Amino acid sequence: MSRLEQHSTLAKLYALQLEVFPEHEDFLSRRIANSSDEHLVELEHLAQVIARIGEGKLETIARDYAWLTNEMLEEEYYFRRHGTYRLSTFEEAERTVYANAEFMQKYMNGVLFSHLWWGNHSRVIIHFHREFLSRIKQGAHHLEVGPGHGLLLYLAANSPRTGSVTGWDVSATSLRDTRHALEAMGVHKPVTLEAHNIVDAPSGKFDSLTFSEVLEHLEQPRDALKTLRSLLNDGGKIFVHAPVNSPAPDHIYLFREPEEIVEMVRDAGFAIDETVNFPGMDASLERARKLKLTISTIVVGTAI
Amino acid sequence: MTREDVYAKLEPIFRELFDQYDGPITDELTANDVEQWDSLGHVQLVVALEQECGVRCAPQEVTGLPDLGALVDLFAAKTQA
Repeated sequence: MSRLEQHSTLAKLYALQLEVFPEHEDFLSRRIANSSDEHLVELEHLAQVIARIGEGKLETIARDYAWLTNEMLEEEYYFRRHGTYRLSTFEEAERTVYANAEFMQKYMNGVLFSHLWWGNHSRVIIHFHREFLSRIKQGAHHLEVGPGHGLLLYLAANSPRTGSVTGWDVSATSLRDTRHALEAMGVHKPVTLEAHNIVDAPSGKFDSLTFSEVLEHLEQPRDALKTLRSLLNDGGKIFVHAPVNSPAPDHIYLFREPEEIVEMVRDAGFAIDETVNFPGMDASLERARKLKLTISTIVVGTAI
Repeated sequence: MTREDVYAKLEPIFRELFDQYDGPITDELTANDVEQWDSLGHVQLVVALEQECGVRCAPQEVTGLPDLGALVDLFAAKTQA
């Protein structure tokens, strides 16, 4: 594809993805064709980070992405037929996903590549990097709850504005991937990674906090946000990212409108700085609302 | 249902889901011809048509169909069974 000639890492991952998943060519070629020149530059940067995180296992990750898309389609069938997510309790998700190390690893790998190929996912990462990290306090003690594959935590650790970086995750697989990502990227800033569940999180005070793609995995997301508020200093910034109408193997809390997330963040003790919605499949927001398509919603708040 | 009956159910669904496409809806139409007709769009099309026709398809029945005509054939056959 000629538009990728100047983006060598993106071109390499594109070719690899199609080699193992040729059925995805229509989708991926449209994704590239519909991206602006500026977005392709951003994607190349993202591709370089992802390629280093996945070095030595990129083909496996590409295969796991293909597997993930099929898993997502099965969930989409359920969601469209029943109007709800298939799972509704943490215990079910724990049993079928989190405690299944093989499933979890494939899932994490697939999600990593989704940040390149799904426009809503890549735009969230870019917004976090460009906008959120540039606005936090200089020397911020930064916490991410649920760092997963480690991409956002790496970007935070690499930001000149953070003084220290901490990651908490309930999953040993996630923590291992996060640690690997940080090592692969050669992060030199102090990074603390610990196994904690948000429901019994230790005390601490941070200046900024990332909570990306976690709310939809919780039975009581409102309580979790209140806990996060208690971990932030007054004036601290929170970056919440959660999907609306987004069936997945371990999603249990269904947000039907972006405003439900905004209201929940506000109710937890935050002033809302901004709300940004990125509909999936490059749909307009109006069309995404009308057809109940996935919307990646970002809410940035200030602890008050 | 006849194929014509299925088309009558399908057309408004198709137009709503894939609103950037304004060409004719024919048997020969494929996902390559309709930009919004991706894998998720296909699920939405199938499930909406299931609900209109009162039948249920297994995912493997509706994956890899060559064109819209094959989908219409499938639903016509299912509603007659």
